[in-house]
Amino acid sequence: MIHIEQLAKRFRAPGQRDRLSLRRTPARVVDAVVDVNLDAPDGCITGLLGPNGAGKTTTLRMLAGLITPDAGRLSVDGIDVVRQPRAALARMGVLSDARGLYPRLSARENIVYYARLHGMADEAANARADALARMLDMHTLLDRRTEGFSQGERMKTALARALVHDPPNIVLDEPTNGLDVIATRALRDSLRWLRSPEGGAKCIVFSTHIMQEVERLCDKVVVISHGRTIAVGSVPELLAQTGQRDFEEAFVRLAFGDLAPADASASGLPG
Amino acid sequence: MSGLRAVATVFRKEIADALRDRRTLLTVLVSSVLMGPFVLLAISALVASLESNAEQRELVIAGLADAPSLVNYAERQTYTVRAAPPGFEALLRSATLTDAVVVVPKDFEAALQRGDAPIVEIVADSANQRSQASSGRVARLLAGFGRERATLNLALRGVSPDLLEPIQIEEHDLASTQTRATQITGMLPFFVLMAVLTGALNAALDTTAGERERGSLEPLLMNPTERWALVLGKWGAVAGVGMLIAVLSCLSFLPGQWLLRSDTLAAMFQYGGHEAAMFLVVLLPFAAAASALLMAVAIGCRTFKEAQASSTVVMLAASLLPLINVFSLGNESAWHLWVPALAQNVLMTRVLKGEALGALQLGVPFAVCVLIAGVAVWFVARSLRSAAVR
Repeated sequence: MIHIEQLAKRFRAPGQRDRLSLRRTPARVVDAVVDVNLDAPDGCITGLLGPNGAGKTTTLRMLAGLITPDAGRLSVDGIDVVRQPRAALARMGVLSDARGLYPRLSARENIVYYARLHGMADEAANARADALARMLDMHTLLDRRTEGFSQGERMKTALARALVHDPPNIVLDEPTNGLDVIATRALRDSLRWLRSPEGGAKCIVFSTHIMQEVERLCDKVVVISHGRTIAVGSVPELLAQTGQRDFEEAFVRLAFGDLAPADASASGLPG
Repeated sequence: MSGLRAVATVFRKEIADALRDRRTLLTVLVSSVLMGPFVLLAISALVASLESNAEQRELVIAGLADAPSLVNYAERQTYTVRAAPPGFEALLRSATLTDAVVVVPKDFEAALQRGDAPIVEIVADSANQRSQASSGRVARLLAGFGRERATLNLALRGVSPDLLEPIQIEEHDLASTQTRATQITGMLPFFVLMAVLTGALNAALDTTAGERERGSLEPLLMNPTERWALVLGKWGAVAGVGMLIAVLSCLSFLPGQWLLRSDTLAAMFQYGGHEAAMFLVVLLPFAAAASALLMAVAIGCRTFKEAQASSTVVMLAASLLPLINVFSLGNESAWHLWVPALAQNVLMTRVLKGEALGALQLGVPFAVCVLIAGVAVWFVARSLRSAAVR
């Protein structure tokens, strides 16, 4: 269970020195997150949907304790992230935007390294790596060095690494970026299984800017735009709220208001 | 999880990672660890050839036929006399001829009889090191010839030859054989220092800027591990690689010594187990401090390449500071011990000279290294989180 309440973060971009004059331009203030609220229950896939630059990655980085929020509350299974970041991280598996692997280590070694950082013993870590490899269909990759892995293979390894301690909460930042259809489908199946009671009824938070992902996978959608939560509900509820039939059109209405162009194709992938 | 276990986990992973980087490791081993012994060999070959030249009792004379008395004198001193080859000046310049040439004027004997002091030239090329070495020997031989003539002349006139030598000169060299050897082996500490730095460089950059470039630092920080534990583990691994290189390069001089071709040099260059151990006592804290410093420089860089550029400053400082010791020509000041790299150079030079190192001499550089390592590790731990998201 992940709970985010009135989260805010302001960045101060340092002023830049003009080439000719000695004076610096004043520091630029960017309100990355203004008021984000999110409630993700267990056994449910919650989509964090928003255009690029809406504040999704910043929100998830604050959830992972990498950035300290200016205001608001973040809690994981009731544990305050700011006050007890390590206790919160122990209950979370995060697949972040950056998912670099160690190229000279095999996929198994990459996974076991994280398991050991979570305090698992070697045997348990190896058994868990095997189990995850079966779930993600990557057992043929397991003992190969990750150098030269394809995007999909990298993503699978990074996901296995994030899930190695069997966390009750799973946070994924744009997990389908760069994946082909087959890999995306495989990922969706894995996430559905993790949501099911036999998969552990995990609490899954999933950020994306792709409508189809949300429509096919999410039980609940939180739409954020310009750093604010602007709508919450299931896909049918959001359609009803906007009076649209097409979810993409509904999203554009929600995210950009009535100022958005009516042409859906122009704003399907908002920049 | 307990912090120390996390440190051990990170350490194990980083060591395995660094040791799998075979190509880099091999380059470091070949370029820095084998470099010292090779230089030692090259020096010994040079010294050996200089020695053999100095022992050669050969005199090359241009105008051999005009100076029978000089030839007679040289042969009595058991020298072999040769006529200079035609065009010997060009041969000297091109270093084909390695002996200084004595040029005797046509009327040498007649002028000598008249007491006109004929001019005898010694031709050598100072860029041709061996001819230069032999010119000193030739000059001494000619002075001996002159002295003999003078003594004979005085004896004929009934004057005691002792009048010519109102004082007697005896030279006493206070330097021990080892001290003299440091004139030649003085560059070894420098090679060892650079070997340690280049050995640690790659691992230091890979565990900091490399993690950022790969995008693996952000996920790493999403583990419930204390940041100081991550940094200590990384630092331990980098310092471990640096220390491994230090041990290898210190030991590499042991077999290098057996290969010395010059007996005099082998006698002067005393490098045994004790010297190697003292080198390590000096070098290991330096390896630890240098690793931490390189990591602190690299953590601010987004890419490996950027970090390489930034770390050049550290490498340059470490290679230039020991030069203070070279330029001050052995005049060691107390402050030398407070400057990293320079202090290590000073101490290793002393070890090679066969001098004992006191507690203070070892303690000051050690304390400086501990301070540098502490500040650098603290800085890396503090920068880790902001480095991951930027």
